[in-house]
Amino acid sequence: MRFAKAFLAIAAVTLLVTGCARQKDDATKALTAIETSVTSMKDEGMKYAPVAYQGVESTLATLKDSLAKEDYKSVLAGTPELNKAVDSLKTAIASGKEQFTAATAEWSSMSADVPKMVEAIQSRVDILSSAKKLPKNVSKDALDSAKSGLDWMKSTWAEATAAAADKPAEAVEKARAVKAKGAEVLAALGMGA
Amino acid sequence: MTENTGKPAADNPYAQFYVVKKGDTLSKIAEEFYGDKMLYPKIFEANRDQLTDPNKIKPGQKLRIP
Repeated sequence: MRFAKAFLAIAAVTLLVTGCARQKDDATKALTAIETSVTSMKDEGMKYAPVAYQGVESTLATLKDSLAKEDYKSVLAGTPELNKAVDSLKTAIASGKEQFTAATAEWSSMSADVPKMVEAIQSRVDILSSAKKLPKNVSKDALDSAKSGLDWMKSTWAEATAAAADKPAEAVEKARAVKAKGAEVLAALGMGA
Repeated sequence: MTENTGKPAADNPYAQFYVVKKGDTLSKIAEEFYGDKMLYPKIFEANRDQLTDPNKIKPGQKLRIP
């Protein structure tokens, strides 16, 4: 009887230890697989979907912390959600890449076009600045406004150019603003289409 | 930006053009666009590809107005 009880106790402990070891093993394997996947996406994630990537990294860090504290239940409970987040991240990266490519193409076009607009405006502003009087369709206020508009265009264009390599969407947004201002200035100088 | 040479390049889509009418002179055109007829050399220089003499322009010529 005593031997049977001892045997049962030992069996129970063995099952408990085996169960815990299996949980640890499962949690570790699950988290390692996710971490490998996330690490492989780091460069593209940071470039094309930084917010989503950092969100996934943060959740992964939390689960790794749980693993370190031997809270295997939390890890196993959290990995399905994290896997979903990784799938969403892949989608976000693909979408981000498309947008990056489209913005790069638009920038390429604008970087050929906008400097010509600035050049045409600069030329006219320089000439009118040296004129003894202004043409009928251009007031002094309009010329002054054109000069400050031109200055704004040049500084904003410089910002756009600086952003172009890494943030083409931002560069394109600035370029569009420069072009819109340029259209106003051209009209004010009587040079509109 | 490129250095300003005083005239937009030939292929600049934002350059302004003017078609010469009978009786026009570069001075008159300069007065219309710049308010100052003495600035006619600017127009002449911008059109050296088709003008050799600032006093000789023809109706129908399409001049670039820098």
